[in-house]
Amino acid sequence: MSTTTPARSVQTQHRRRSVKVGLRYGLAFTAPFLLLYLVFVVYPVAQAIRMSLYDWDLLGSVREFVGLDNYVRMLGGVNIAWSMTHLFWARLALVLLGVLLLVGPIRRRQLSGWRVAGVLGLVALAGLLGFYPAENGFWNDPVFWIALKNTLWFTAVSTPLIAVLGLVMALALQGRRRGSAWYQAAFFLPYILPVSVITLIWAYFLSPNQGLLQRLLGYFGVEPLSWLADPALAMPAIILTTVWWTVGFNLVLFTAGLQDVDQSLYEAAALDGAGPWGKFVHVTLPGIRHVVLLVMVMQAIASFQVFGQVNIMTGGGPGTSTEVVIRHIYTTGFRDFDLGYASAMSLFLFVLMLIVSVVQMRFLGKDNTL
Amino acid sequence: MTTSAPTRVQRPRIVGDAAYHVAMLVAVLVWLIPMIWMVSLALSDNAALTKNTTSLLPVGFTLDNLLGVFSVGLTARWFLNSAVVTTLTTVATVLLCAMAGYAFARIDFRGKRIIYATVLAGLMIPKEAMFVPLFTMVADWQMHNTYQALILPRIAAPLGVFLMTQFFSKVPLEVEEAARVDGAGPWRTFFLIMLPLARPAMVSLGIFTFVQTWNDYLWPLVSATKAEMFTVTTGLASLQGNFAQATELGSLMARGLIGALPLLIIFIVFQRHLIRGIAMTSGGK
Repeated sequence: MSTTTPARSVQTQHRRRSVKVGLRYGLAFTAPFLLLYLVFVVYPVAQAIRMSLYDWDLLGSVREFVGLDNYVRMLGGVNIAWSMTHLFWARLALVLLGVLLLVGPIRRRQLSGWRVAGVLGLVALAGLLGFYPAENGFWNDPVFWIALKNTLWFTAVSTPLIAVLGLVMALALQGRRRGSAWYQAAFFLPYILPVSVITLIWAYFLSPNQGLLQRLLGYFGVEPLSWLADPALAMPAIILTTVWWTVGFNLVLFTAGLQDVDQSLYEAAALDGAGPWGKFVHVTLPGIRHVVLLVMVMQAIASFQVFGQVNIMTGGGPGTSTEVVIRHIYTTGFRDFDLGYASAMSLFLFVLMLIVSVVQMRFLGKDNTL
Repeated sequence: MTTSAPTRVQRPRIVGDAAYHVAMLVAVLVWLIPMIWMVSLALSDNAALTKNTTSLLPVGFTLDNLLGVFSVGLTARWFLNSAVVTTLTTVATVLLCAMAGYAFARIDFRGKRIIYATVLAGLMIPKEAMFVPLFTMVADWQMHNTYQALILPRIAAPLGVFLMTQFFSKVPLEVEEAARVDGAGPWRTFFLIMLPLARPAMVSLGIFTFVQTWNDYLWPLVSATKAEMFTVTTGLASLQGNFAQATELGSLMARGLIGALPLLIIFIVFQRHLIRGIAMTSGGK
């Protein structure tokens, strides 16, 4: 100890002091945020895990530890069978998708662990989809599966629709023409409206007696359609409403992405004799690949949580044709007062979205947010 | 895309531009038909609407619906609730996120990396899906049907911290060093130098937070169950599906229009900031 030169000891002392000062201010600046963050964002996840292990009544009369019963109720059933042929084509498609994801890397002899894990996940999903209730069998909570199916269906249809429409709009506005900011603002406008104003407009807009859409479709000879009362049309109506509401958000993301595409690439493509389509495929699409992926993932995550439109416009109906997961959680908790089971389903949804987020991070790299 | 061809004869280009604008105007009008229709209904006479609701122009033009919004029912109260909750949430979110962002970007302290990683991990926690445990927590504190219950859970936004951290890490070091040489401590440096510099990022984050909070539906729905604690968004939802209101379509639409008015004003005034805020969420690049 005594061997340290005075100069050095002064230096370390100085360093230590500055670290201390840093710690004091670092904590002071972050503490208010961290406190709220831990209490209202992190702790609820732990609380959800705890509640999901209880028979937790909203009114507080029953609070009994039941282990994994809530999960059995969610995922289990009576007389559940497994067969190769149930949902055969969908499962075959999943397996084929997995194989396709492997072909390229194997050819290039660069197979990453993440890709293998992803493909194994797809194959496992294809395996799990083989379960179904046999004769006299049933799922413990059939509505959960219907809600999950509807949510996935909603996501699978609305996400590409919104992405493609947003991209088409952004392309139409590309090139900073005079007035394009105004057009962008107009397309963006519905996004800022509250969900209850959106449903107010669309519930009446789609109405077969009072709605304007009926009159407009009437010009083309379409018979009156009772969109929200028809089990086959209710979900398309919800999707239509959602597309109109949220496409503007993605339009903005695409517009920002298009501005980052290197302009000289367009000129180079023009010199090579590429037409508009050629430029789009060879310059624009590769240039905004990253934004396309971001839009798809953000949209998918938002779609998993779809609730407001459904709750106000159809209340999950007619029947269960528009029941979605969040609404099922909401009714389980606040109509049936079963908060334990509602928490178990919340965690299921959380894990589902976590998987999507992790996939996104693998594809998009660290510098991206969501 | 066709504008990149510079050597075109003048006239076809003008014609092409005109065609472009006509096409875009038509597209915009078609896109906004549902909104135009809503405004038209809000300006229509309720009695006339019982016969004809499918006009894009007001039938029996009147301002009664708009003027009557605050005099009947609880709409005025809901508006006040939304204004209080949204304003406080926005101010608190922007301030706390800016403070935390500044610390993460500019102050070296032990454990910073781990804490920041923990905050970023929060980006993956779906707030909407976690409303059940949040509900029981707030119920344990007997805080439901209060402003605190509507505001506090919404302030801690990991995305806001991320954006502010990104912003502050791009500010040149010299700015801060100059302040330190002048003898300013971290608080003074932050409030007098860094905050004014961060105004664009803060405005974008603030607008974004304002719109999101005003439009929040699920949490106010479960937390504020008394009609006088509804926000505009949950209050308007509670009016729908109520068949008595169907006979007063004009005043219902007027309520929707007024309920969206603060957002429309913000949209008109701060449109550029809002759009930049969204573009920022894509990672800045």
